[in-house]
Amino acid sequence: MKQNARVNKQKFTIGMKKKLVVLFVIVLLAFVGLGVRLILITKNNGEEYEKQVLSQQQYDSTTIPFRRGEIRDSNNTILAYSEKVYNVILDAKLVLRSEKYLDPTVNALVRCFKLDGGDIRNYLSEHPTSSYYILAKKLSYDEISEFQDLMTYGTDTYDENIQGVWFEDNYIRKYPNGSLACDVIGFTTSDNVGTYGLEQYYNDVLSGSYGREYGYLDDDSNLERTTIPATDGDSIVTTIDGNLQTIVEKYIKQYNDEHANNVRPGNGANNIGCIMMNVHTGEILAMASYPNYDLNDPRDTSKLIGMPAVDEKGIKLQGESIFDSGVYITEDMIKEFSEEQLYQNYNALWRNYCISDAYEPGSVAKPFTTAAGLETGSITGNEVYQCSGKLEVGGWDIHCHNTYGDGAVSVERAIEISCNVGLMHEAQAIGKENFAKFQKIFGFGLKTNIDLAGEVKTENSIIKASNMTSTDLATNSFGQNFDCSMIEMITAFSSLINGGYYYEPHIVKKIVSSSGSTIKNIEPRVLRQTISQSTSDKIIGYCNKVVAGEEGTGKTARPAGYMIGGKTGTAQTLKRGNRQYVVSFMGYAPANNPEIAIYVVVDRPNVAMQDDAKNATWIVKRVLTEALPYLNYPMTEEISEKEQAELDELRAQMVTPVAAQEEGEAAEGEKTEGENTEATSEENGEGDKTGEADNANKDTKEEKKEEKTIWESFDVDEETGYYIDPNTHNLVDPETGNEKGGDVLPDFSGTPDADAASTEKSSN
Amino acid sequence: MERIRALRKPREESYIDYSLIFIILFLLAFGLIMVYSTSSYEANIDLGDSSYYFRHQLISSLFGLVVMMLISYIPYRFIAKFAFPIYIAAAVLILLVIPFGKKINGAKRWIYIMGMSVQPAEVAKFAVIVFSAVLIIKLRKNLMSPKGYMTALAFPGFYALLVYGITRNLSSAIIIMGITVVMLFISTPGYKRYVIAALSLTALVAVIVLIIVNADSSSGMNYRFERVLAWIDPKAHASGKGFQTLQALYAIGSGGVFGKGLGESMQKMGFIPEAQNDMIFSVICEELGLFGAIAVMLMFLLLIWRLMIIANNAPDMLGALLVIGVMGHISIQVILNIAVVTNTIPNTGITLPLISYGGSAVIIQLAEIGLALNVARNIGR
Repeated sequence: MKQNARVNKQKFTIGMKKKLVVLFVIVLLAFVGLGVRLILITKNNGEEYEKQVLSQQQYDSTTIPFRRGEIRDSNNTILAYSEKVYNVILDAKLVLRSEKYLDPTVNALVRCFKLDGGDIRNYLSEHPTSSYYILAKKLSYDEISEFQDLMTYGTDTYDENIQGVWFEDNYIRKYPNGSLACDVIGFTTSDNVGTYGLEQYYNDVLSGSYGREYGYLDDDSNLERTTIPATDGDSIVTTIDGNLQTIVEKYIKQYNDEHANNVRPGNGANNIGCIMMNVHTGEILAMASYPNYDLNDPRDTSKLIGMPAVDEKGIKLQGESIFDSGVYITEDMIKEFSEEQLYQNYNALWRNYCISDAYEPGSVAKPFTTAAGLETGSITGNEVYQCSGKLEVGGWDIHCHNTYGDGAVSVERAIEISCNVGLMHEAQAIGKENFAKFQKIFGFGLKTNIDLAGEVKTENSIIKASNMTSTDLATNSFGQNFDCSMIEMITAFSSLINGGYYYEPHIVKKIVSSSGSTIKNIEPRVLRQTISQSTSDKIIGYCNKVVAGEEGTGKTARPAGYMIGGKTGTAQTLKRGNRQYVVSFMGYAPANNPEIAIYVVVDRPNVAMQDDAKNATWIVKRVLTEALPYLNYPMTEEISEKEQAELDELRAQMVTPVAAQEEGEAAEGEKTEGENTEATSEENGEGDKTGEADNANKDTKEEKKEEKTIWESFDVDEETGYYIDPNTHNLVDPETGNEKGGDVLPDFSGTPDADAASTEKSSN
Repeated sequence: MERIRALRKPREESYIDYSLIFIILFLLAFGLIMVYSTSSYEANIDLGDSSYYFRHQLISSLFGLVVMMLISYIPYRFIAKFAFPIYIAAAVLILLVIPFGKKINGAKRWIYIMGMSVQPAEVAKFAVIVFSAVLIIKLRKNLMSPKGYMTALAFPGFYALLVYGITRNLSSAIIIMGITVVMLFISTPGYKRYVIAALSLTALVAVIVLIIVNADSSSGMNYRFERVLAWIDPKAHASGKGFQTLQALYAIGSGGVFGKGLGESMQKMGFIPEAQNDMIFSVICEELGLFGAIAVMLMFLLLIWRLMIIANNAPDMLGALLVIGVMGHISIQVILNIAVVTNTIPNTGITLPLISYGGSAVIIQLAEIGLALNVARNIGR
């Protein structure tokens, strides 16, 4: 205590007080110095630093992606949708803010995303100021959730040292059915822009608007941040019936598989297209073409193999010989393709044959000529023409399919047996003016305005009345010398059989918002009346004979148990005499009250004799056999034993339940021969031609009995079953008398006389 | 003890330095506002609670005020009796960091006592004030001898070594030594040795800096050296050590004369890392401008002036030395903090007393103020 008291008495001396003041002065000076420094910083660098501060703010906006609308079929089955995915973004600036963030962050990235830690470190050291680097793309929520937990405060695994990583939302387009309806749907590029088909045509509808998160400076230069949410795109409901589409694609595929690499390497045909339409609304029920591709992987090169290669304009490359249908892509060719060539061929693969390609329709156009004749009153339907196998028009000899002459041909029989001469007489009666007028009425040369991207314009191939020669008129009458697209043809044909109402074809029936409310209903739209009801009825009667008539060319298209109508088409292509044909069949059902139209086009089938519409009827028959029961049409015809066997075989592969099964079974009991022949001919692609020909031959014999035709006295070719013309040594189709290699049309070049002579030579 | 009570009784009216209390309360309140302003944005993003830092600082401040009041009532001579135990206790606390230290932001500087995080280096600052004051009084006659002077330096030097050695906290070590030197400067006559020491220290630093600057950038570049290089050219090290400094400078520069307004800082939004800590002064500059910054500096100057007045009027040497220690502590820390923020010296983690976020720091600083108030209470006795 005593010592304490002494210590306590120590006084704070004057000297110390002075020193304390000195200390205070030193502190004061330091403060003044720092104050001056503050002022200097503000004065000298103030503006520069202020700009710096403003420039490093993020008012550069972040885009918030929208969800693209769905594409559904008529049963609301989803054909295309968008799925949310996440991109992993690295902000190097934030990671490098502190040493302690680096290792935990990189390690977590390596662990959760299987990334290469070395790469990340390299990037960080090389781009220390980068704030946006995509480490991984398109990860699903499950893939990122582990890492997200690491970053989220409050979770068990939270690690505050994981910094500078964030997730960017995005959407990817998915097509759950792969290649189904690929040409109709189209696909999207990575930036959400549709290419081809509905994705392109309805791009604006399907696209929503991007949201934005952005900063801006208000009046006082304060940073404000605002978020405008993204608006999701609207969905579209199509008229496509997924089941019908599947049926159609199945048989197209089957046709292709059976004919691929048949007489030439490559696909079963250059193109195969099929459209099914509701004739009373213009709704497309199915639309498919082959070759197809996988929408989820449109750049799969394997789909190119077997396709005819195209040049930079999309025109198919010519083979060495005039008889070659094209140059078919092989694996080796793909390896040698340049990037440009590859994309030319991709474009050929992706285009929709049904709307984007024009071709000469051939005899499918004949009912239009007859309808125009009836409608204008130029013909009554009771005329009978004489067919001697050819007709000289404008100095040219234009042949019938049956070069030996069909004899007396009524208007009805002209359609039934597809007699060119009969139609040429009709056209002459109609006259150029009326013929051209009706071509326009039927919409040939006009776009149908179907709601799909890439519809071809055929206007230039249509000959105006003022320019039309008598030869043009003659050839146009049976569908040569002008082009149309499949959609033009089936739309026009629907008006022939529905009482004359030309509906605008459409494939989308409803637009629905992302919340599910209907935004727009697309109703059927009648554009014009093409023909009268009575003419329509007559045309239906003629076309029914094509399938039902004894001599009908389209008998093979009839599905067991049903009666349909239609018209075959076998069109020559350019150059004339190249033995390349586009064969087709336009059918409708039911025969007496058409509701559904189906149109199949096989472009240059991979068979030895291409000019055979059975290539098309083969597909039509099978599609309808499965589709009509699915559409709940009752069977009206008796089923023969042979057909029953066929049906049973088909049902094994059917995708839809058969409504009319019982009826089919009821017809059991009757027996006919030949079922084995038919069955093998269908299964065996190799012997297909022979089998069918044999079979057809047999049928012809049975039905015609005594009525022998000229060519049946000729020798029979062992290999094909065709007759051989003793003069030209060309093969003759046993059923129609159609001479192979001896074309209907002359090559309309040079002077008529000289050429007529040469045609004469070749056909005799 | 009896006598003390007896002595106090006739003088009911003890002196209370209200102006000091007012300054302290002002700085505390202002500090809380600034902590909220600087931290709310980041706290909301990182922790989902914009007032997280504010609440923690508020609790610490209130607790600190209670401590301040308590200490201002316990006679400082009584506290001085426990100088040595306090010294030992603080040293033990620092040593406890080794086994029990909690790593925050990569540095092991904190220990937990009853759920509260304590930074032993802060406690050491309080301890060194009390202990050095008592030691200087004890050494009184011997202080002028080199041995005595060295003894006076040795004990705080031990602290400084402990703090630096264990917690790698150079700034706290510097402050501990700085407090001692200030106290010794006042208590020993003559300027010569201090001027010489200051000059030689400056020269040494200059030489070291020159060596670092001229050294091959790839060799021998360690953590501290890069800070020195970043100090000389912060833009060249904008992505590394210079980032914080540069962003602080941007904040100061962009504030202008009157600032962007309270709460309107842009730099606090992720650009200045942990703006509520070391760099809070830069946000003050940005939001309140030069005007606000100089006002804050004036408040600190007033505080230091008040402490000087108390020291000058202290009843005895012990009281004066205690207050000088507090004054030295606050002066050094304010000067170093503002010097760092303005890039006048290399970046080292020093907080702004009473304003920056930090629980231990504000409690210790308020305890020190309590000590000063305690001395003031005895003025004129």
